[in-house]
Amino acid sequence: MSWGQGVPVVPRRTDGYAPIEQYAAIGDGRTVALVAADGAIDWWCLPDIDSAAVCWSMLDADSGGRFTLAPTAAYTVSRRYVTNTNVLETTFTTATGAVRVTDALLLGQPGLAPLRELYRRVDGVAGQVMMRWQLAPRFDFGRTPTRLVRRAGVPVAQGRGQALAVCSWGAGDPELRPTQLAAQFTLDAGESAGILLAYARGEPLVLPPREEVDERLRETCRTWREWAQSRHHDGPWREAVVRSALALKLLVYAPSGALAAAATTALPEMLGGERNWDYRYCWVRDSAFILDTLTSLGCAPEAEAFFWWLMHASALTHPRLQVLYRLDGGAQATETELALDGYRGSRPVRVGNGASGQLQLDVYGDLLEAAWRYAHTCGTIDPEIARRLAQTADLVAEIWPRPDSGMWEVRSEPQHFTHSKMMCAIALERAAALADLGALPSRHVARWLAEARAVRDFVERNCWSQDAGAYVRSAGSTDVDASVLLAVLFGYSPPDDERLRSTVDVIGERLAQGPFVARYTGDDGLAGTEGAFLACSFWLVEALARTGRRARATALFEQLLSHANDVGLYAEEVDPETGAFLGNFPQGLTHLALISAATALAGEGYRP
Amino acid sequence: MLWGAVAGGFAGTLVLTTLLRAAGELSLTRIDLPFLLGTALTSDRSRAKALGYVLHFAVGQLFAFGYLGMFVVIGHSGWLLGAVFGLTHGLFSITALVNVLLPVVHPRMGSTYTAAGSSPLLEPPGFLMRNYGARTPEITIAAHIAYGALVGGLISLAA
Repeated sequence: MSWGQGVPVVPRRTDGYAPIEQYAAIGDGRTVALVAADGAIDWWCLPDIDSAAVCWSMLDADSGGRFTLAPTAAYTVSRRYVTNTNVLETTFTTATGAVRVTDALLLGQPGLAPLRELYRRVDGVAGQVMMRWQLAPRFDFGRTPTRLVRRAGVPVAQGRGQALAVCSWGAGDPELRPTQLAAQFTLDAGESAGILLAYARGEPLVLPPREEVDERLRETCRTWREWAQSRHHDGPWREAVVRSALALKLLVYAPSGALAAAATTALPEMLGGERNWDYRYCWVRDSAFILDTLTSLGCAPEAEAFFWWLMHASALTHPRLQVLYRLDGGAQATETELALDGYRGSRPVRVGNGASGQLQLDVYGDLLEAAWRYAHTCGTIDPEIARRLAQTADLVAEIWPRPDSGMWEVRSEPQHFTHSKMMCAIALERAAALADLGALPSRHVARWLAEARAVRDFVERNCWSQDAGAYVRSAGSTDVDASVLLAVLFGYSPPDDERLRSTVDVIGERLAQGPFVARYTGDDGLAGTEGAFLACSFWLVEALARTGRRARATALFEQLLSHANDVGLYAEEVDPETGAFLGNFPQGLTHLALISAATALAGEGYRP
Repeated sequence: MLWGAVAGGFAGTLVLTTLLRAAGELSLTRIDLPFLLGTALTSDRSRAKALGYVLHFAVGQLFAFGYLGMFVVIGHSGWLLGAVFGLTHGLFSITALVNVLLPVVHPRMGSTYTAAGSSPLLEPPGFLMRNYGARTPEITIAAHIAYGALVGGLISLAA
């Protein structure tokens, strides 16, 4: 595993779709673009990560927007991120020479920069290479028309209220067609060319000179490098941890501090299936992991910004929590379907997420666990937030006996999920512990602790199966569920607890296929099946490590690391038979779980 | 009239702040003007709120003197005209003052230009401040109309 050297990859397409594992992500803290191994940008939302896309051929290869750039002759490819950055370098080698394409979303300093800018710089490395590029922008997922015109000699794509200028230097004279522009050019060793997409919305276009753009590319690399080098992690897997940290930083929406679960929508959990969700929201479920990971990596500003965002976002629904919130802090996430073909025919293509309206009891545990970790690592909890957290604990004490949809957001009937109940106990106990510290009002502590005991009693009586030798998926069930591994990670019971250790073993036996762990057995109200869930695989590593099986955990961890793609990224799921990625990409929870597991294996990390 | 502006500025800001605070407690909006002002000076939440209230009342007085100047120029004052000023003031706040200008000068607030190199603590208000809740524009405008009406009414009484 060494992603810094440039890894050869053989570009493939099936019916116009590249495998998900052949994408690399570039971003600027506001939006993310995905670049395929053949040099095509098939995904780019504008202006923000959760906006409608202008490049979306990942979801419709025939009519989706796309930006291709590759040699005209047959080529081989190797690529890597510029060390410690989110700037991608793809080297194309042909029979006549080699070029290096550097792809970046620029960070906006110095100079007068466009609202968003995507830069593709091409450097001749050896010999001579003829390159061809083609841009077919389609604003708003194609729901509004895109017009291509020339303004003062510069090609401009216009949509409703937005525009994309195409500035190019030494990259040929682009030929304008009704729906796309294209050009080709020849590059000798030592020469360079550049193509910049400059975006504007609600303001005039900025058309920067090349020197400024190249300067911003250098500054972008410097900013990423400084950020990555400041991350704390001294374990043997630092390279993988830093790459995961950089992937997470791509998903942090800088204007608010929220972390998107993934950069895409509707990439399928099963090819051709209906499990195609929009993950461009922030899940409360991830909040404790996010805070823990950010603080363990020494990202105090990001951790503080995230907690502030979390408390602001949840104010509108207080004391109830939504499962997820928009990145700008809004609570609306209405689910609709787009009339697109879907990735390799996987329909429907959804934007918005209907899970926002579900009752998921575990999120209360995640919130109070996050508050607990914040209080221990970042700062004090001010009186107003403390009052709100106490009211949230009061609510948990009242609603924990209800059935819910569980952390996996099943669309079948609500059940008494084991993990949900365990997280309710954690919510109440963390609230009481915070009150002990003087961080929360202490009037209701006795009630919180009494209800926590009642929850634990419920779990032990109804969710433990002597036959299975494990805590099962839900009360009275015989199914198992990897979410119960979080009981180890969140300290529900001591690591030497026999029931917990046995549960970890049973999950490893019943849900694992090779190194990959499925989420659960049993019904979820949806047709079809899905791949293995990569975060669960890393949770198993951490659970094994925390229950004293370090050698097994290390071996499993290293196996999982070998299944990252060529630039060190992971999707949500993987097909255990083929290793092909499934689901949205890159997936924040997978990278959070990787860092958490590496930290546990390195013997670091705070646990209550 | 000067004392009318002082009284109107105080009473108007008091009512405006109370209305916004009540809307926040009812989970209708997350707008909190004293908090936004105070966090420009400190990241300590409690201190930010205390400082923010002082600043907010000072700004309320300044705007009341501005209203007074316009009443003098027009040669007429009253609660209705004050309400019209308040409406204009509210519209300006949600489209430019808080939406555009505050993120530019606020050291802890993000904006649409904030990129991966920084981690602001406060989310930007967004167009019409709707990032703070879908009902924020109408609540903010209503509070400013109340402010304007009180300023106009008390200046008129003191005239």
